[in-house]
Amino acid sequence: MKDDATFHDAKLQELAQRLGTRAAERLDVERTAQAVVTRLHAEARAPARPSVWSQPAWLKIAAALVIVVGAGAVARGVRQAPSGAAGSVETVDLSDMSAPQLRALLESVGQPGTQEPVSSQDVGLEDLSPAQLRTLLASLDIQT
Amino acid sequence: MPPAEPLAAVPSPTDAALITAWQGGDEQAAAQLVRRHARALARFLAGAGAPEPDLDDVVQETFIRAFRAVGTFRGQCRFRTWLLTIGGNVLKDAHRRAKRTRVVPLADDLRSTDGDPHERAVAAEAERRLGDGLGRLTRMQREVFLLRAQQGLEYDEIAAALGTTPGAARVHYHHAVRRLKECLT
Repeated sequence: MKDDATFHDAKLQELAQRLGTRAAERLDVERTAQAVVTRLHAEARAPARPSVWSQPAWLKIAAALVIVVGAGAVARGVRQAPSGAAGSVETVDLSDMSAPQLRALLESVGQPGTQEPVSSQDVGLEDLSPAQLRTLLASLDIQT
Repeated sequence: MPPAEPLAAVPSPTDAALITAWQGGDEQAAAQLVRRHARALARFLAGAGAPEPDLDDVVQETFIRAFRAVGTFRGQCRFRTWLLTIGGNVLKDAHRRAKRTRVVPLADDLRSTDGDPHERAVAAEAERRLGDGLGRLTRMQREVFLLRAQQGLEYDEIAAALGTTPGAARVHYHHAVRRLKECLT
């Protein structure tokens, strides 16, 4: 049994050493050497063409981060766009408003954070602070 | 007139000296490295499954990659061993691109006119089966087997070249031998 194994080992070794020998013998080594030198020479003379993928790793990572962060910001902006009307800021001249308009405005200012409509019965002039009342009266005086 | 003294043999430059010369711009040093290692590389590549029509291209590409990356060669193994491992990578890339299976040059052996035709046919058949068996091994098993059995390298050097340990290289070799014996019996 051991002799058989030894025989197989020797046979395998012999076969392995023979493997590819004929193909290698047919290789024109001199032609290969000249071809390699010619290619190396051409590469050395060619101007360097820096590509994206030849940049340092940190530069690629930084570029990828910028893209990801930028894309995230754009996506967030798109998500918020439908409710953009609420976010828009308009300047309102109080002196141009009528009394009912002012009341309505005060009612809405008096309920920050709530989206529910506020009825005029819920909020009256008694709910205003002295400063708010003064402002209101002053604006009414201007109108009249 | 005394007989002329024989010329002292000029020692050929070492691989390291040729690499240094190439890095200094000596293209002929590169050509000499190719002449020195091309056949061993071709044997390894043919054994690893390079189709013969592509062998010259794969050998050239291996040398080109090696010369491009020679600055990273730290002498962890011999230049030839390092070159063979680069050849393995080039061959893998070529196989991936071509998506073709190994072409065994069976006719090469039958074309030979040396020896008994029956013996040649038997040897060619054994070589074909070995080639098939090598194609079924993992890449690591195949390369370890070829570096050991075909190129005659020690496990230490194989391990250094392939980035593994000598013990693991030995295990890969024994697995390869066991599977190849199954193909030959």
